[in-house]
Amino acid sequence: MAHKWNRRQFVTRTASATGALAAGLHVPAVVKAAASEWGDLVGRLIYDGKAPERKKLKVDKDVECCGKFDIRDESLMVGEDGGLGNVYIYVRTSRRKKVDICPELETEYSKKENGRVMLDNRDCIFIPHSMKIWYEKQEYYIVNSDPVAQNVAFSPLGDVPANIILPVKPKPGFEATWHFKRKQSIPVPIACNYHPWESAHILPLDHPYCAITAMDGTFSIPKLPTGELEFQVWQERIGYLKTPDWSRGRFKMTIKPGTNDLGTIKLNPSLFEKS
Amino acid sequence: MAIRLTAWAAVLVGLLLSAGCDMPSPQFRLNTEGRAPEEIGPARADAITEALEKLLGTPDEPNVPEGVPLKIGQLRAAAGPVGSHSDGSDSDGSRTGLYRRHCVRCHGLSGDGAGPAAAMLNPYPRDFRRGIFKYTSTNAGAKPSRKDIKRTLLKGVPGTAMPSFVRLSQNDLDALVEYVKYLSIRGEAELYLLRLVVDEDEYLPLHELAAAALEEGLLPAAALWESARSAVVTPPPEPPTDAPQSPASSVAKGRELYAQKDAQCVKCHGPNGEGDGEDAELYDDWNKPKEGVTPEQTAKLARLFTLPIQQLRPRNFHQGTYRGGDEPVDLYWRIHVGIKGTPMPAAGPAPGAAGVLAPEEIWHMVHYLQSLSQAE
Repeated sequence: MAHKWNRRQFVTRTASATGALAAGLHVPAVVKAAASEWGDLVGRLIYDGKAPERKKLKVDKDVECCGKFDIRDESLMVGEDGGLGNVYIYVRTSRRKKVDICPELETEYSKKENGRVMLDNRDCIFIPHSMKIWYEKQEYYIVNSDPVAQNVAFSPLGDVPANIILPVKPKPGFEATWHFKRKQSIPVPIACNYHPWESAHILPLDHPYCAITAMDGTFSIPKLPTGELEFQVWQERIGYLKTPDWSRGRFKMTIKPGTNDLGTIKLNPSLFEKS
Repeated sequence: MAIRLTAWAAVLVGLLLSAGCDMPSPQFRLNTEGRAPEEIGPARADAITEALEKLLGTPDEPNVPEGVPLKIGQLRAAAGPVGSHSDGSDSDGSRTGLYRRHCVRCHGLSGDGAGPAAAMLNPYPRDFRRGIFKYTSTNAGAKPSRKDIKRTLLKGVPGTAMPSFVRLSQNDLDALVEYVKYLSIRGEAELYLLRLVVDEDEYLPLHELAAAALEEGLLPAAALWESARSAVVTPPPEPPTDAPQSPASSVAKGRELYAQKDAQCVKCHGPNGEGDGEDAELYDDWNKPKEGVTPEQTAKLARLFTLPIQQLRPRNFHQGTYRGGDEPVDLYWRIHVGIKGTPMPAAGPAPGAAGVLAPEEIWHMVHYLQSLSQAE
């Protein structure tokens, strides 16, 4: 192969990264003692500039019903005081790096009232716009509150794709449930084939440690296991929220018992420019 | 003393022959759709290719890992170079090269839908690697059944360049169906590895990468193919279609259902089923990623994809040409389970969703659509 020297570099890097590259040796997942103490992570993300105007979207279907709403682009949401909303912050897990889940959270999410994440079709948009779901414990409940038929379509990688029509309430079928079968590493986009301006995102994870920033930019992830964790930050317009400090939008933090404050992170508007 | 010319010629020819004329065996091409070449890099590309080769072999020699339900005998008949005899068999009588003989020109060696002829075709040949197939009888979200793939081979896809292969033997058809499944499952494992190695930046040694691809790429995809059979939609008996002019007839009922708001047929197919619904740029799942927010962005994105963007046209029912087949049951399935990978949604009931049309209503719709092309 033409790039053999690159492969040697790659293999060396892998060897130093794993530290146990012996032929045929099965390298087990990193095993560490289960955490017995838990901490919270809080913080705030600020868009350090004037909030850009949200583009008005083209509403060209079902105009009698949908034309009366002021439907605007939601890919960059900046609140009144500069808070950056709808940003995902979640613990990164992989084949080797699992995360301990606090038993209290296991109990909490097993309760019936927490067993559902809802997606509503209302006012000709998806509400909420950004969602997360602990796929092993929760089901996705999709409902149509609009006076026109709606469609919900999404295609998670390696999982069953969805393309559901929801007739008008109260015809049977106006609500549907969906179960994700695997976790995703980035949020899955949701579209409507009838109304192309509609969009939303859902992130199925195998743990509850995910927060979506509110419109004032604040977020909180409770009851994380103490110790070092890697977090992924994702924003709809640019994907991984890369900053000079966060390569690929990731940062590591050692969680201590009690509250861990990431602080107020000011993000330069130039970070959100799509190349 | 001058050595004779013929002696020199003999030496030259001898040298040439001893060098051999071995062609390097063909390799699968990495799926780079939507990614810039520099984003992947040669080291990662090699890692992914090696892991997949370890698991699934090469275009000449396929391999089936433990636990993956693929029939190696059928794969061997489909894989490999076309045999030297006129019927495609090799000197030892074995059959190989069915895929390369019949399919590779359009569907490409890797099943990427980008064979040499593909660029001239509208619609493009299927890219198997996403695991999505359009004309199926299985519920929305499920893989096609083996019968669905075989039906496409037998009927072809009318209105496209996909011909019918009805003249092939049953064994040959079965081998090709199995190979399409193989390429599709391989494609999904490759997508998983791309996500893992490129997006997630995971450095794993070869055997771990292969293990990850097997457990989280291949086996889940294979399991979905196996469960497809239980997801086949069996339509109820077809209601009678006589007296199409009477208001109570099936055709009339179908006309009413077509126009009503819930199924939203009119939006794309137009009020008279001429495929002239509200102007919308529709794309299938293979072409949607090529669309930018502005035409300039679309032009920029083009370099990340093998074939240029291609639009999708909603069917004009007056023409009577249906890509998935024009038998009544074919039309039934298109409405009930939708056309996967396109904006055509599933209207019939499915597990977890009651749908907008009851099975009998779908039959009325089928009769209405048939009446549109018969009226001319």
